Amino acid sequence: MKRIDCFKVMAELAGDALVVTGAGANTVEWYACRPGDGNFRVRTMGLVSSIALGMALGLPHRQVIAIDGDGSLLMNLCSLPTIARKNPPNLVHVLVDNEVYEASGEIDTATGAGTDLVAVARGAGIRRASWVNSPDEMRTVFSEALEARDATFIGLKVERARSEVPPYPMDEVENKYRFIRHVEQTEGLSILSAHMPASFLKDS
Amino acid sequence: MAESSGPALIVEGLKEAGVDLVATLPDINLHAVLERVAADPDLVHVPLCREEEGIGICTGGYLVGRKCAMIMQNGGLFNSVNGIVSTLLQYNLPLLLLVYYAGDVGDRSFATNGAMTQPVLSALGVQHFILRDPNEAKALIKRTLVLTQDYKRPVAVLLTKDVLGRRSPGE
Repeated sequence: MKRIDCFKVMAELAGDALVVTGAGANTVEWYACRPGDGNFRVRTMGLVSSIALGMALGLPHRQVIAIDGDGSLLMNLCSLPTIARKNPPNLVHVLVDNEVYEASGEIDTATGAGTDLVAVARGAGIRRASWVNSPDEMRTVFSEALEARDATFIGLKVERARSEVPPYPMDEVENKYRFIRHVEQTEGLSILSAHMPASFLKDS
Repeated sequence: MAESSGPALIVEGLKEAGVDLVATLPDINLHAVLERVAADPDLVHVPLCREEEGIGICTGGYLVGRKCAMIMQNGGLFNSVNGIVSTLLQYNLPLLLLVYYAGDVGDRSFATNGAMTQPVLSALGVQHFILRDPNEAKALIKRTLVLTQDYKRPVAVLLTKDVLGRRSPGE
């Protein structure tokens, strides 16, 4: 199974969900399937699901999707019990498991040696956790996850191959500002503001 | 009736600063603070398994409009360093870090952690202020929240045993 075939299905169904991605190929292939400012690329290995959890808890009515890698999740396994404990229904955690540290030279991770991260997620307390074996099955499972009343974990076993897509078009700080402005516009919130000189303040 | 203990004033300071999402990991000296955070219906409380995930959770909260804080021991600050560098500093993100200053002078616990706390924060370029007097808790926390937002970097408040209402044996 190619990850991009599952991403195409997700992009059809995701609507205006906020999407958090991690390691290189997940980010660029997702962005090719669903471009736009509702995407946030993470640079700290492991923190994809944690950042998505913070968004899901911070905006409980908005759908949030984490697209994680096996190497990344293995570095922050403690995110799974924390997600289970808070159980936000608006969070779907998608694991793209290719059994290697792909961006770091395709060295094997523990999942190729038998570690089953769906079983780990279930053991951590995430009841809605399952492997998906085809893009068609992903359509069903992902659709159900978007409607679910609990957090969902979906594992995808994928080929060790990248698809030809353009590079990510912005750096970290631009990504942050574009993402926040997108949240402001779509949620009617004011998040960013500039400090004004004292002469602009009424009471000064 | 408003309480005047350090832990009560710390949580009141957080709320008056507008903080509404707090990620925490226990230390016995933070117990009274964390109990108040957990019981407060106005705060989204996220109990952590390891502190670095809290850097991610607070980042996600900030990106969707929450005002976030973390409460942890200084050992947890050390656990969080990669997240501080490659998320908070890399993206210019604010975060209020309330860090129990284990190993502070007169503290009698984790002296090595204490010795390394300010040097690590300084090396990271993370501004930090030491809170010893409960009467200064609310003002310092409110001002530090404003500072971290203006600076767009994390800023730490180091919580001593004095402000937490704790005492070491022999002290």
